[in-house]
Amino acid sequence: MEFEGIIQRLREIGAPGLVSTDEPRAADPEDKKDKGRAGDAFVLVEPSAIVGFLAACRDDAELAFDLLVDLSATDPDAADEQFWIDYQLLSTTRRHRLAIKALVAKEGAEIPTATAVYRAAGWHERECAEMFGITFVGHPDPRNILLPDDWVGHPLRKDYEFPTEYHGISCE
Amino acid sequence: MGLIEHQFEENLLTTKVDWLLNWARLSSIWPMTFGLACCAIEMMAVGAAHHDIDRFGAGAFRASPRQADLMIVAGTVNFKMGERVKRLYDQMPSPKYVIAMGACATGGGPYYKYGYTVVKGVDRIIPVDVYIAGCPPRPEALLEGLMKLQSKIRNTSVIRKPVLTA
Repeated sequence: MEFEGIIQRLREIGAPGLVSTDEPRAADPEDKKDKGRAGDAFVLVEPSAIVGFLAACRDDAELAFDLLVDLSATDPDAADEQFWIDYQLLSTTRRHRLAIKALVAKEGAEIPTATAVYRAAGWHERECAEMFGITFVGHPDPRNILLPDDWVGHPLRKDYEFPTEYHGISCE
Repeated sequence: MGLIEHQFEENLLTTKVDWLLNWARLSSIWPMTFGLACCAIEMMAVGAAHHDIDRFGAGAFRASPRQADLMIVAGTVNFKMGERVKRLYDQMPSPKYVIAMGACATGGGPYYKYGYTVVKGVDRIIPVDVYIAGCPPRPEALLEGLMKLQSKIRNTSVIRKPVLTA
């Protein structure tokens, strides 16, 4: 199924939390400031409804998104007040993909965990949590996955300050 | 060996203790199996048939620090690993030697500026005998580093100068 078909099906089954869709487009040759948009088409989803949305994508017989390929986050800019949380779904039986994006406020960033729908989300969410300081509410194992347990700060945030020493080892 | 040479039967050899100990040490340096990143691939190439580190008596890679004389730090050391590196070094029996292989182990390499978890040189954790440049170094460079270490061992002495106290 192509992107339009997926969107149509999502609307038919009334997938919860669907806000809008965005597709890549070429730049307007008349407008010099318009750079267009590259990348994949994605759907924007309300963060609080993400679990229901993912469950709808997985359980619908026509969509049949049985695999969570990736879950990551982006800090677009230090001045920006929101993180983007990105989900990449793949249907191995229907051979189609879907990119999902949810915007969460940086201040006390939190989103419900997707582990109840896709077990694969567990490690991805642990990495997102330590790198961005996002809380995945209801995560079964919210420890750090890559960084040491006593690490201070969240390295992939744009406002991250580099450490000067760690356990007596200088970082200067 | 001066005065006592040729004073005994022909199947007797005379030598210095220093020479004998150094010869034994430098001819059987057992490295620890210790690869942290891409430099380890070059280290494996050094151990394989084409470059053959066994020619220098250093081909017996040990999987335990307690059996090893040489730690070849082959790759990027981050803080989480750095504490393990220190512990492994402490577990090695003396005399022990360290080769910092490649740019990362020598000084942080390409991660120097933005690698928030990378130790900027393994010499901030453990003493290093030989540094090898390269990213990663060619196998020949590691072999030369090993030969440098051997010549360093060749010049050591078990006898220390007496410390005179008043």
